Amino acid sequence: MTSTAPTVHAAPRDWTRLHPVSPFLGGWSVIAAVGAYWFINNAPAWAGGMGDDDGTFHPGIIVLAAVAVVGALFVIGGGFLSWRMRTYRITDAAVELRKGILFRQFMQARLDRLQAVDVVQPLVARIFGFAALRVEVAGGEGSTVALEYLRLADAEALRNEILVLAAGLRAERPTPDAAAGSEPALAPAPSLRDVIPGQDVGVPQFAAAAERDVLQVPLGRLIASIVLSGPVLALAVVPIAWLIAVLAFGRDVQEILIAFVGGSVAAALPLLFAFVGVIWGRLSTGFGFVAGISADGVRLRHGLLETRRQTVPPGRVQAVRLRQTLLWRRKDWWRLTVNVAGYQVDQTASVSTLLPVGTRADALTALWLVLPDLGDPDPEGTVSRAMSGVGTDGGFVASPRESRWFDPWQWKHRGVRATETALLIRRGLFVRELMVVPHERTQSIGLSQGPLQRAAGLANVELHSTPGPVTPVAHHLALRDAFALVEEQAARARRSRRTQSSEQWMATVAPSLDDVLAADDLTVAPDALTTETPVVPGAEQA
Amino acid sequence: MRIWQTGAMWFEPEGATWTYADRRLIPARLGSLALPALVLIAGATVLGLLVGGWAWTPLVVVVIGVAWTAYVLVRQVGAHAWSEREDDLIVKRGRLFKTVTVVPYGRMQYVEVQAGPIARSLGIARVQLHTASPGTDASLSGVPTDEAARLRDRLTSQGEAKLAGL
Repeated sequence: MTSTAPTVHAAPRDWTRLHPVSPFLGGWSVIAAVGAYWFINNAPAWAGGMGDDDGTFHPGIIVLAAVAVVGALFVIGGGFLSWRMRTYRITDAAVELRKGILFRQFMQARLDRLQAVDVVQPLVARIFGFAALRVEVAGGEGSTVALEYLRLADAEALRNEILVLAAGLRAERPTPDAAAGSEPALAPAPSLRDVIPGQDVGVPQFAAAAERDVLQVPLGRLIASIVLSGPVLALAVVPIAWLIAVLAFGRDVQEILIAFVGGSVAAALPLLFAFVGVIWGRLSTGFGFVAGISADGVRLRHGLLETRRQTVPPGRVQAVRLRQTLLWRRKDWWRLTVNVAGYQVDQTASVSTLLPVGTRADALTALWLVLPDLGDPDPEGTVSRAMSGVGTDGGFVASPRESRWFDPWQWKHRGVRATETALLIRRGLFVRELMVVPHERTQSIGLSQGPLQRAAGLANVELHSTPGPVTPVAHHLALRDAFALVEEQAARARRSRRTQSSEQWMATVAPSLDDVLAADDLTVAPDALTTETPVVPGAEQA
Repeated sequence: MRIWQTGAMWFEPEGATWTYADRRLIPARLGSLALPALVLIAGATVLGLLVGGWAWTPLVVVVIGVAWTAYVLVRQVGAHAWSEREDDLIVKRGRLFKTVTVVPYGRMQYVEVQAGPIARSLGIARVQLHTASPGTDASLSGVPTDEAARLRDRLTSQGEAKLAGL
């Protein structure tokens, strides 16, 4: 193995294997799957299984256990081979990964195309102090370079170095001129490596950028927000409705209901699981949620069993959605979701949340984190009015009266407004939504009109964004407004593209960032410290 | 009545000179319609011959449907046009459901030229533009083959000159 010494947490410049424990961390899933299979088939009916509860010992268990062990061995054996063939390295310009047993694959994540870097710790890996590093570049499906698994400290050292190289800072803060080129000025990494003396045990070669926590989600609020959500209400409504029916109509109805429910339980189970899944997802991704800002970008930390530490440079956020359901309105809570290019669509729930639940002030702060300059003299007032305004409040261009035929409830709440740097799209009577798209992130603009809309003189304008949960569409605008919006938006996006580039985001954020970092309670992120990494027996032989 | 009045009014961006889709797109589109249409008509005819009487109604329905689809296809070709502006490409399409897409050159990730067997024999091709957004529905149908190659080169060089970070 060409690895660096085990005690030095540095990003390898030579081809290096991942940690040898990796196949074992993956093997758990087989045992869990076979166990679940056994449970479903043999657990008594009351526990949701299909077996009968006769209390006898099933010899099939031994067979299944053997299958589980053999399957796990097979997977671990395959995993070992694939681990042998899987090497990665970092260069000044890219993270590279070679993998594949029969069909070799070479993946390269270019650092100037870097969109986000996540340190992910699934439960088992977390227990033993390992982590996966996911480097996201904007390349669509399957473009993520996932390094599974590394020791936590190695993963963090690698993350830090990737961010240093991608941002081209750390050695010295770049002047706007130095960063203005289309290619980022790369830090002279080899010389930096030489400068660092000793390479102490457990210290990453590049320390994590100083970070300040800006937002936290208290557990109480998270739970309350989940209780006040659709799935929980749906789960709660069923027994309550049952109770009311029984009280009102007596026992006959109860028997009918039991028969009815008994018949449809099989049909209802998937729905139930889906609800529970959504609730669990909300809880597990929102648990311990902390958003912070650092020189590397926005830092998000969250997770109950599987923890995830995301780093998203602000210029990489393509669109933001602020959302408030009817149940949250009394508390004035908002949920913020973002589109980040590179994050895969199938995992949007866990990676695309900027703020699981927060007050209006929190929401404004979170928006500031990703869009520091809203290009408006009174950004807070403007966004606040945009969040809960009606009609032309706050300078919005509203949907005209004709749109009531298409949108009887929320037509008054629809509106569009442009600031110097972003477009705001507002909608929603029951579920309020505000979408914010920076001009320079607009991919293309669409204008569409159906025959009925034509009769009413209306059209939709859509800003095409990268794949993600946010789809910014302004519905049912008056024709004149829609045409003007398309033209103006094209011009604004053109201007912003000239002056902005995601590679030089530090130059635009730096002043306000300095203010933030100069504040009293500046802390180094706890995730930069890995003093408590448990030692796994056998890990040392790496 | 009002439909046709306002229908005439549609997006006319500044400095747009429209290039309309080649008329050869009409036989290409109708050609791809022909096979399913023939199968449907044959099926309905056989049904009518076997059963007779009311069983002829499916044939009537199918013929009307095919005729309507063909009419729509022909009309769509007349509505499909694009314009190369200084900084972006504008594509418009559709008559009943109208769409306009404005694609900045700096946002194009790659350009693709496709031509199926029917289109190739007619000497036309389809130029598809891709941005980082799956929502960008920007394809130019009915581009003469040599013009498609020129367009691809022009778009690619424009894209390289104006390429912006994501």
